Amino acid sequence: MSKKQIILGAQFPGVNNFTVWSHPEAGSQIAFESFRHLAKTLERGRFDFMFLAEGLRLREQKGRIYELDVAGRPNTLAILSALAGVTDGLGFINTLSSTFNEPYVLARQLASFDHLSGGRVGWNVVTSPGAFTGANFRRGDFLPHAERYDRARAFVDAARHLWAHPGRDFDLPGIGRGHFGLPENHVYRPVIAQAGDSDGGRDFAASHADVIYSRHGTLEEGQAFYRDVKARVIRHGRPASALKILPGAHVVLGDTEEEARHNLRQIRLAQVSPRAAIALLEQTWNRDLSAYDPDGPLPEVEPDLGAGQLSLGRTRLHDDVLDTVRKWRALAEAEKLSIRELVIRVTARKHFVGTPESVAATLDDYVQQDACDGFVFAPHYTPGGFDRFVDQVVPILQDRGVFRRDYTEGTLRGNLCLPDPLARAA
Amino acid sequence: MTHPVPLTIGLSTAAGNAFTPGEWRDLLARIDGAADAVTLTDGFAADGPQGPDAVILANWLGGQTRQVGIIAGVAVNFTEPFHISTAIATLDYVTGGRAGLLVQPSGPELAERALDAIGHPGGYPQAEAGDLATDLADAVAAIRQLWDSWQDDAVIRDVERHRFLDPDRLHHVNFRGRHFSISGPSITPRPPQGQPVVAIALSGPGDPARGADIAFLPLGLGAAGNLPVHGDLTLGFAGEAEAPGLWRGEPGRLAAYLAGLHRPGLSGWRLSPEDPRRDLPLLLAELPALRAAGLIAEPGRGTLRARLGLSPAPNRFAA
Repeated sequence: MSKKQIILGAQFPGVNNFTVWSHPEAGSQIAFESFRHLAKTLERGRFDFMFLAEGLRLREQKGRIYELDVAGRPNTLAILSALAGVTDGLGFINTLSSTFNEPYVLARQLASFDHLSGGRVGWNVVTSPGAFTGANFRRGDFLPHAERYDRARAFVDAARHLWAHPGRDFDLPGIGRGHFGLPENHVYRPVIAQAGDSDGGRDFAASHADVIYSRHGTLEEGQAFYRDVKARVIRHGRPASALKILPGAHVVLGDTEEEARHNLRQIRLAQVSPRAAIALLEQTWNRDLSAYDPDGPLPEVEPDLGAGQLSLGRTRLHDDVLDTVRKWRALAEAEKLSIRELVIRVTARKHFVGTPESVAATLDDYVQQDACDGFVFAPHYTPGGFDRFVDQVVPILQDRGVFRRDYTEGTLRGNLCLPDPLARAA
Repeated sequence: MTHPVPLTIGLSTAAGNAFTPGEWRDLLARIDGAADAVTLTDGFAADGPQGPDAVILANWLGGQTRQVGIIAGVAVNFTEPFHISTAIATLDYVTGGRAGLLVQPSGPELAERALDAIGHPGGYPQAEAGDLATDLADAVAAIRQLWDSWQDDAVIRDVERHRFLDPDRLHHVNFRGRHFSISGPSITPRPPQGQPVVAIALSGPGDPARGADIAFLPLGLGAAGNLPVHGDLTLGFAGEAEAPGLWRGEPGRLAAYLAGLHRPGLSGWRLSPEDPRRDLPLLLAELPALRAAGLIAEPGRGTLRARLGLSPAPNRFAA
């Protein structure tokens, strides 16, 4: 039996503490050259796609703009279409809100991107209801939280209808009516991606998406998620291969296993500076903890469960704060962890750590054992944070026969080996 | 006596349904180095062909050009000012300071179609001239404030104190207009030009300027307040016609016609080929004659603001 081919995507380093802006080689987070460097590097490595997250309002904590993390990013559609103009085979997945865009406008923008790039666009559909983000938009806080996926579903359905009918009139109840005057000599088929892990999010992906992101880091968790989601896809009348499962992950390389582990430790220390440790703990405690020593024990004070939110513009981390705090206290007690060491431990994300050979072998294992279909990596710094992976790990994957040596179709859908959604609609 | 002024070439995305991506690339490659700027008028909610979204097109072209200013058209009444602000700021980063925004006003008829297309959501103006004008001015003001919402020195990268930003150098804009309000600050740092060029095409001298830096105006109709005026002319090399804003004639005669219209105080020309595939190559072939007659300047380098004679933009929020 032939081996599954690995899907590889990478994102521009995010606006969070995982991006090490203090790294000695870290460059601009906003200069076009930083973005071009990553896109060119990924294309050299024959990656399926580059991915960009989106946040429509700067984060705030304790009533002030959050100052510890890298911040300031371009408009997602604008920067990725610029990168499409200077690349040939790489796909681009845009994270874009189904809340603070209108279907005709966004469908036209994505269709334009698809047309100009020759079919290399994807849309990671996110919802962003709420007064905090809404305060930057005409419609304001208009969408109840519970209705966020209803709107997302209707939005994607409308966009797909418009893409299937370029140069035609449309009349879609609850969406709008008019004319979708895009060139007719192109087949519009942007890839749809989704990241929600909730029951509603998984179902939305199973019925509507081509790609789902996950945060399930271990082999076993990945396999459980994979079985669950693929079963949902089949229940929705689609072939299991129609939805690709891609966990987010980081890679830390070294010439030896020991050096790689040392490198990871240095990265984690930089990501969780003493001030960041306190700030991250405050996000769970929901109260000012600036009087505490990051190298000392956890606060004895209880978390504030009141309605006021200390940290704005982030996804809520835990459903049950008290339970989380109880577990953290037990862990800190058992292992004598300071605040900073605890935060380093409990905010860890999936890292593949090792030599290029061992990392390549592990990635291959994950895919062949159906923990996922591939990965979306986030480099630790910009712009050169992914050079080594492309130079040293990709060739090994190619030699193992599980990753392409060249682009074939030159479309994102072709890169991902996805069926044509228009054929399904027909 | 004439004085050479910058040349902008006008293209429309609606006309561009006929163009393949490769043809768009070729068109811009010809204009790059031949003119100071290009405007891409957007076909938003047009009855027929609309072409690619002008801001997407502008950015897609941006990284492929070296010198030409790119002024992207937006129907600002029916798009989110926040998204416009970040997208044009991004274009400014992509082009290294060659970006502009062409503010496209909507009349009541277009507004009716646009509102239908987006499903009549809250936060948008009525399809009525006065309300559209107010909303347009609001949107431009909000976009400009967002561009200034990061001071140029807001990113401090203070490794010792673990601070990436100085929040005191970022500003909530707290903009309140008739139909919408915007808290800010922008998610995008202040673009290289500070304020990318804001242009507007006026059909007559009575039109309000609505916060623009420059106006494209058919000559022979009067002035546009105290805004720098760029003579606006659609031209075709087929048949014969002469009217404010329109010229048709044979190759070789354009320089004489423009010389007759050129006047002291004119800040530039925008020449829009009627049928780009036919007329753009002919127009480009006329440029040496226009330069020899002292009508248009050699394309400059540097920021678009500087080339169009606009002074560097101070930040309204900086102390």
